[in-house]
Amino acid sequence: MKLLAVSINHRTAPVELREALHLSDNEVQSYIQKIKGKLFSEGVVISTCNRTEIYGIPVRQDLTHDDIKNTLGNIKSVDYLQPEHFQYYRSDEAIHHLFSLATGIDSLLIGDNQIFKQVKDSFQIAEENGFVGFLMKRIFDSTVKAGKRAITETLISEGAVTVSYAAVQLIEKIFSNLSKKSALVIGAGETGEIAAKHLSERGIGKLAITNRTKERAEKLAGKINAKIIPFEILKEQLYEYDIILSATSAENIILGKEEIKAAMKKRNYNPCVIMDIAVPRDVDPAVKEIDYVFYNDIDSLSIIVQQNLNKRKDQIPKVQNIIEEELKAFINWYKSLDAAPTIKNLRDYFESIRAEEVDKNKNRFSMEDQEKLDIITKRIINKILHHPTVELKKYAESDVDSNEAAMKISIIKELFGIDINNNKET
Amino acid sequence: MKDIIDFSNILLPFLYIITFVFYSYDFMKGGKRFVNSKRLFLFLTIFFHLFYLLLRTIYFDHPPITNVFEIFTVLAFAISFSYFILELVTDIRGTGPFIIIISIVFQTISSFYIPDLFQVKEVLRNHLLGIHVFTALIGYSAITISAVYGFLYLTLYKDIKLNKFGLIFDRLPSLDVLEKLSFYSAVIGFVLLTWTIIIGIIWLPKAFPKFSYADPKLIGTFAVWVLYGIGLFSKIFGKLQGKKVIILSILGFVIAIISTIITNFLAKSFHSFY
Repeated sequence: MKLLAVSINHRTAPVELREALHLSDNEVQSYIQKIKGKLFSEGVVISTCNRTEIYGIPVRQDLTHDDIKNTLGNIKSVDYLQPEHFQYYRSDEAIHHLFSLATGIDSLLIGDNQIFKQVKDSFQIAEENGFVGFLMKRIFDSTVKAGKRAITETLISEGAVTVSYAAVQLIEKIFSNLSKKSALVIGAGETGEIAAKHLSERGIGKLAITNRTKERAEKLAGKINAKIIPFEILKEQLYEYDIILSATSAENIILGKEEIKAAMKKRNYNPCVIMDIAVPRDVDPAVKEIDYVFYNDIDSLSIIVQQNLNKRKDQIPKVQNIIEEELKAFINWYKSLDAAPTIKNLRDYFESIRAEEVDKNKNRFSMEDQEKLDIITKRIINKILHHPTVELKKYAESDVDSNEAAMKISIIKELFGIDINNNKET
Repeated sequence: MKDIIDFSNILLPFLYIITFVFYSYDFMKGGKRFVNSKRLFLFLTIFFHLFYLLLRTIYFDHPPITNVFEIFTVLAFAISFSYFILELVTDIRGTGPFIIIISIVFQTISSFYIPDLFQVKEVLRNHLLGIHVFTALIGYSAITISAVYGFLYLTLYKDIKLNKFGLIFDRLPSLDVLEKLSFYSAVIGFVLLTWTIIIGIIWLPKAFPKFSYADPKLIGTFAVWVLYGIGLFSKIFGKLQGKKVIILSILGFVIAIISTIITNFLAKSFHSFY
């Protein structure tokens, strides 16, 4: 198989370079137009914040990083791309790498299921741009199968692996239905924004934002349709919220034990979750001593993250087994496209039909004619198969465009159901 | 038929133990390996248990509610059956081992000591006794389940407070759900115990010449009923919630167990059929 994969990823390149090389969907489309037919006859381009990878059937065998660099350079102005920033995978290795990517075990964040969607989207873009041929289509099908199996058959994508998701996971271990709960996010910085978005995505019933700078609170509240609480009256309003998520850059504690105690009394000791994801902390850790207050800071949330990451790591061997199985299945399929066995299978198939029909009808002929019948039908079959056999032998002997040969062989096999017959026999 | 009954009597604890192993393995290991098969096995065990109870009823010519060991096997069945229905309705599958283990205890004791009674006192054939015992059994099953969920609530509550994110945290449903399951089970238990007490007060004095209001089981059941009444009404009216209601529920269960032991094994009472 002449498949080649070229990868610039989190292991080979620093974040600045990966960011600089990240291609938007439009840029991927432009890039495909630049390399289609010039570098690769068919392929797919996958670009995320952690990697830019090109898979395809190269038009020539001596493709180097300079070729990739030059074509990428037309889209992205990156001068400092060096040979060591590239990883090359050929043939089976390339498929293996693609399967590892789609199943999430090659991701910076193991089990990241975003990458599976990104791989599927990338194939769609390639297909829309006429860059997906016979072989890439089959590779895509196998990749999707491996990705789906990893998600359904293993726990590789289970559990929260970021602090803000861990906070949501913990909140959901206390409250079963967030749509009936209210949350207050203190701090409208980047962390506060991510946390507020997570809560909003999980369908929180009521969401409020408070921030020292009112304008920032207004900006974030506008984005996620939240209410704004003036920072000055924050302590008076605390009791109204089931979830308090604090992520400010304040130097000192902004919520003490007595304030939380007073709020709990006002809310008749209905459970309250306090997630303090600020560094330094915003809430006095002593609040955890109050009944029905579930207090967690960044350290305790990190425990959940680490545990989940360890559990995902434990799943890697299972995912690797799936990859091996799917790779084996793909290679078997690909090998079945060899010309020589196809010639034999095709001839066997015709011969079996001929023999069956002759056997059924031979009693209609005299003993002498039966021999003639056998000879004549064999001659007919040989004549019918002469041209296809010659053509298939050409594919077996030449190595010029094996992809086209594979496609034609596959069509022959499908048309005559040769695979089906073989399966029946086994 | 007697051979089949005897064989089933020996087999039942093992079936519950195997079901428990399935549920425990699933709880410990997670994954999807036994997600459906454990439920199927529980169903088969319950079905077999029902078959056993029917055989006993036909062969001994009375429902198995005339002595404490017969009641234990019905209780084991009722607890697992209630859990099975609860699992089907809520699709919460992580709490099975904690409930099924109680069925194992009741069924094992029953299997060891259950007598072959062909003749029972005439008073124990009364249909009001049937209703009285039936409501009591389902009521006690409900408060057992309520106590188990209460216990799980307290364990998870403590783990979250102490930032212990182990198996309990991973496998159990949320505190909210555990509290609701415990509460609704307690409501069912309370309603059925109310019926049990009403039928008992109407029927028992007529049926038993030695009837006494100072009977330990009556006092125990009444104490349990009062405790649950206080807990449930306090929760409904917003006076108590969470841990405190749960603790009352567990206390009610403990009193119910102590009352059963005292009445049936230690005290001489008209209420004791042992």
